[in-house]
Amino acid sequence: MTTVLAPVEGAAVGLAAVPDPVFSAGMVGPGTAIDPLRGPGEAVAPIAGKIMKLHPHAYVIVGDDGRGVLVHLGIDTVQLKGEGFRLLAAEGDRVRAGQPVVAWDPAAVEAGGRSPVCPVVALDAVSESLTGVAEGAVHVGDELFRWE
Amino acid sequence: MGERKVTVAAEVGLHARPAATFVQRAKQAPMEITVAKPNGEGPVNGKSILAVMALDVRQGETVVISAEGEGSEEVLDELAAIAAAP
Repeated sequence: MTTVLAPVEGAAVGLAAVPDPVFSAGMVGPGTAIDPLRGPGEAVAPIAGKIMKLHPHAYVIVGDDGRGVLVHLGIDTVQLKGEGFRLLAAEGDRVRAGQPVVAWDPAAVEAGGRSPVCPVVALDAVSESLTGVAEGAVHVGDELFRWE
Repeated sequence: MGERKVTVAAEVGLHARPAATFVQRAKQAPMEITVAKPNGEGPVNGKSILAVMALDVRQGETVVISAEGEGSEEVLDELAAIAAAP
């Protein structure tokens, strides 16, 4: 069982609320999304493990059991080419759950005309394997869902 | 074993939307699907988004998609089209 933590503070709104079908239709995998608190903040690792992929706008952490969790900071934020994001760790680093990975500002993303909503996805999981999915207000490091 | 060798055209490489679209199609196929880089990286499970992301295929890189069995040629054509789409 993997406990997945909230990487950002905000409101857990579910993947269906994400304005991108690749996430809202569950194509990437099951999980939820957080509508983040507007203002500068640090997105953290949702699980302990190795940073398998680190972009300014998205990262994947893989735990020792081989399970990967994707955090995507905003929608279509790949187009920002890193502007407004600052890496606080490096690809290949081992991180503990809750360790800061990227500094960013959801308000700036929104001001640029993009949704700052953050999908948090259990890669290769089936939706039935996720339980205790949080709804509503979450703080950084709160339990977001359990991956059985 | 059927194979398609394709150059990935998407700016983000075989990540994000292209990766999700590719894996979703691969998962619908009954047979095993693998993806490899010609330099020997892989083959990885083409039905695993984590494995496909970990292969880290960038724009302009070539991948070899493999499958065998009944209907595999059709599946390979579709997967090759997804991987080659800009």
